[in-house]
Amino acid sequence: MKHALTLRVGPAVFRVGSPWASPLDALARLYSGYPDASDEPADFTVRLRPLKPWRRHVRPSIFITGDHSLADAAPMALAHGLLAAEMGMNLQMALGWRRHLLLHAATVEKDGRALILSGESGSGKSTLAALLGERGWRLMGDEFALVDLAGGGLWPFPRLVSLKNAAIEAVRGVAGEGRLGPLMAATAKGDIRHLIPRPEHVAAMDRPAPPTLILFPRFGAEDSAARPVDPAECFVRLTQASTNYVALGEAGFRALTGLVSSVPAVAIDYASGAEGIAMVEALWDEAR
Amino acid sequence: MQYRVEPGIAWLAHELGPMTLLYHRRSGITHMVSEPVPQILDALNATGPADAGAVARHLAAHFDLSAEGGIEAIVAARLEELAGLGLIRIGAA
Repeated sequence: MKHALTLRVGPAVFRVGSPWASPLDALARLYSGYPDASDEPADFTVRLRPLKPWRRHVRPSIFITGDHSLADAAPMALAHGLLAAEMGMNLQMALGWRRHLLLHAATVEKDGRALILSGESGSGKSTLAALLGERGWRLMGDEFALVDLAGGGLWPFPRLVSLKNAAIEAVRGVAGEGRLGPLMAATAKGDIRHLIPRPEHVAAMDRPAPPTLILFPRFGAEDSAARPVDPAECFVRLTQASTNYVALGEAGFRALTGLVSSVPAVAIDYASGAEGIAMVEALWDEAR
Repeated sequence: MQYRVEPGIAWLAHELGPMTLLYHRRSGITHMVSEPVPQILDALNATGPADAGAVARHLAAHFDLSAEGGIEAIVAARLEELAGLGLIRIGAA
């Protein structure tokens, strides 16, 4: 690969390579506040390849490959190269990470204890986590919760926060323009901008926290509602939210049963970001 | 029909309220079961290789069962399902 960059996010080191400079330049700018990982051995390699060699110059399209790849991944426009790099890093984690139980969830911390927000794309977990991160919470990550297989603690994975469509303005209003990446318009997921986590949250990316509350947010409901989720349902939901539960075998079973047996869970429906924040903070105060 | 549990620890059980999770070591599959399945597995563990009648008698000796006359049929059906899942084995040895 002509251009390459090594990045560390929490416990994972990525080497991202590409024949084009532009996606890596954008990535390097947004990750400039992260610790220097250039001498660290990479856990994963991400390659942003041209679809065909000649396509590097004519209507360039990026194809994501690496240590792990999806057979049916669609190519992306070079203008969305930053998004391709982020997706490539997520893909490596989702398919290859074995050192923690991985849950598709955002995590934030307050007073040394962590909140898990688990939901599918569109549930609003990234937006809630980004907004909470601007309100005195520590943003630990917006995409993956890393559950320690031995102790059950949560490890941060504070990659760039991926903001979509209306969430861009909502977060820009509180975080300002300076920590936002370039607008990538009309991607497969709509308009996307990335938010750089606050410097103090990046600096704390090696500091775990014990989980205290699990929330299953759902954005877009007409009426707000909160419903306790019993441990058995929580277990089923989190196996579905985990990318490596099956691969981890007995260690995954022990970690997940430990989590759902000791941490209360609530499903919340909310209609707006402000309402979601208010519900999260009220439930947090109850759980403490 | 005789059934038996495999020697050693074939599964890990974890109770979650009314449900019990069984992690089956051989397949790596997690099963979620409710009463009376954990009790049937415990009974089969206690009796050693046994048929549905013997397992039902063991359960009747330890629990206040109300399904008059139907216990053996229920136990037989559950044992067949558990064998189908690979959680227990068919045969005495």
